[in-house]
Amino acid sequence: MSLRRVGVLLGKEFVRGPRNFMFIFALVVPIVFTLVLTLLFGTFFSGKPKLGVADAGSSRLVTQAKEVDSIIVNEYESDEALREAVLAGAVDVGLTLPETFDTAVQTGDSVAIEAYIWGESLLQDRAILGTSIAVWIRTIAGQEKPVEIIATTLGDETAVPWQDRLLPFVVLITMMIGGIMVPATSLVNEKMKRTLTALTTTPTSIGEVYLAKGLLGVIIGVVMGVVTLAMNRAFGSQPLLLVVLLTLGGALASAFGILMGMLLKDINSLFATIKGIGIFLYAPAIVYLFPTLPEWVGRIFPTYYIIGPIMEVTQKGASFGDIAPDVAILIGIILLVVGIIALLTRRARQGGALATA
Amino acid sequence: MNGRIIRALIQKDIKVFFSNQFFALITGLALVAYAGIYFAMPSTVDETIEMAIFAPALPQQFADSMGDEGVVLKNMESKAALETAVTDNEYAVGVIIPESLNQALASGEQGKIELYFSPEFPEELKEVYVIFFEEIGYNLSGQRLNIEVNEEILGVDRAGNQIPQREKMLPLFAVLILTMETLGLASLISGEIEAGTLQALLITPMRMEGLFVAKGTVGVGLAFFQAVVLMAVTGGLSQQPLLIIVALLLGSLLVTGLGFLLASVATDLMSVMSWGVPIILLLSLPAISLLLPGLTTNWVKVLPSYYLIDTVYQAVNFNLGWADAGSNLLILAAFALVFMGMGIVVLRRKFQ
Repeated sequence: MSLRRVGVLLGKEFVRGPRNFMFIFALVVPIVFTLVLTLLFGTFFSGKPKLGVADAGSSRLVTQAKEVDSIIVNEYESDEALREAVLAGAVDVGLTLPETFDTAVQTGDSVAIEAYIWGESLLQDRAILGTSIAVWIRTIAGQEKPVEIIATTLGDETAVPWQDRLLPFVVLITMMIGGIMVPATSLVNEKMKRTLTALTTTPTSIGEVYLAKGLLGVIIGVVMGVVTLAMNRAFGSQPLLLVVLLTLGGALASAFGILMGMLLKDINSLFATIKGIGIFLYAPAIVYLFPTLPEWVGRIFPTYYIIGPIMEVTQKGASFGDIAPDVAILIGIILLVVGIIALLTRRARQGGALATA
Repeated sequence: MNGRIIRALIQKDIKVFFSNQFFALITGLALVAYAGIYFAMPSTVDETIEMAIFAPALPQQFADSMGDEGVVLKNMESKAALETAVTDNEYAVGVIIPESLNQALASGEQGKIELYFSPEFPEELKEVYVIFFEEIGYNLSGQRLNIEVNEEILGVDRAGNQIPQREKMLPLFAVLILTMETLGLASLISGEIEAGTLQALLITPMRMEGLFVAKGTVGVGLAFFQAVVLMAVTGGLSQQPLLIIVALLLGSLLVTGLGFLLASVATDLMSVMSWGVPIILLLSLPAISLLLPGLTTNWVKVLPSYYLIDTVYQAVNFNLGWADAGSNLLILAAFALVFMGMGIVVLRRKFQ
């Protein structure tokens, strides 16, 4: 095994990578997924009513509305822009405030405001926005609050936001595309174009080729894993431990990728196999989507040991001691898959079918 | 054109298409998955807030008036019963308005309202419920606002008659099915170009026109058949079936033209995917903006798929007639002809 040759092969993979669809896919998908999830669960599926305001002056109503986390507030330059936004469904209710709105409310003068309601907005959103607007106007008018609201959350459980529930899925997809798909497609492509056979007739051994492609998967998996966690503000207080976990996770994913690349003949079979086993790869992330499901269900699947320790550290602040047993199992699975790769390689070499293993 | 040769070529292409494990698998799975997702989604929209309430002194008239505004208050027998119901997530929110509130308000003192949230209630939505009950407090105390609100409902008022998300998703499924077949067709043709079998065909009595008729029939047929099956299974053809079928047929022609264009630049499955996935995303945008209102503005009308999606959506949900759909269908037909023509010209150049 020559590390120099592995380095040369790895360099070649990086240079040729941008021509490979899967390579680009591995870099783009985690970023797109994170942006889409932020857009969907931060805005569209957040369950928060959306209020649009076209304020000709500088009303305190807008300031109060923006301070409420439960409502999404968009400001518009003009009444016309607000109308368009309401008509398109960008906001549920639109409010046009005259320049002297606050002064009129404070002096008790009668004041007229325009309220646009999107026809498809839900009754509950109309009710919530209507009452909220009334309370903000009362505050501007200086009305005393006649009641004190004492809010209590019952039970011990805490609600897990959907964005947090989906994070394991995004991280796992990142690791799977970078770790499994990139090395697997690269290997299958070389087999199809017969460049693998050509390569192994040089002093380069098949083990060195596998190692270079595996390292490519690990590096992409780790880099994109770090990017994904950072974009989701989930890098936590133990970045070094997370990088170690991402590296181990990337190593397992890459080992799976190499194994698939060895066993499958063409790209079509690879895609079909990935689709077929996809449910098993992503099953632990599905368990995270539903916190009521028992945790042991996820532990049945090998990919749990990629995502489980990462989520323990990012979401529960676990230390290495807490996750050591899972990390030990992860290392065990990596060694097992690497052992299978070594065994298959030796058999193929003995059978004289090295490159077409 | 020789009908027998074209028929043989169509049969061969269908066989080759389904011998590709990837496309064969996703063709079947996608149909089942889309239908499964459709039926798994709720068929109605619950647009009301349901809350448990224990308020012995609250007039029933007040509770009824809130029902008209989408807030349904379910009376509990006791404070303990309310707490149990909310703790068990039977109700997301519970409210206790004590008997002493009216007395306090009448004497000018500040009263108290207790608000309970279930363990699963999202933290970020709690504040708005506090504000909601503050306003109820203002109303109960009789404080008035000297504000004149001129309300205007923009668009069709669908309060109490909302369109379920699954009906909004149907056009998206149809577009996804059509465009996935584009990838299959492009992969089939590009594979034949690379292998040289298409050039070989052209030295037989098969003419170029016949070749395009055969490939076009396979592309249109596969895409159209699946889209119609999906619409039929999900009940999407219960209103204006002929109009929807015509729109899907034009959509199939459009994506087949795109398939020809894709095949002219792609060399294998991977390059079909690299060109095809962005095209699928682009064509899906009008359907996604139905699900996520406000995501796009009028520029989305430059996308040819808009006219297919809008027609299918309006016909399925609003019983859109031929007269109203006429302009959409004409524009869609024009796009289909342009893409088909461009695809044939570009691909013909590649053959030669």
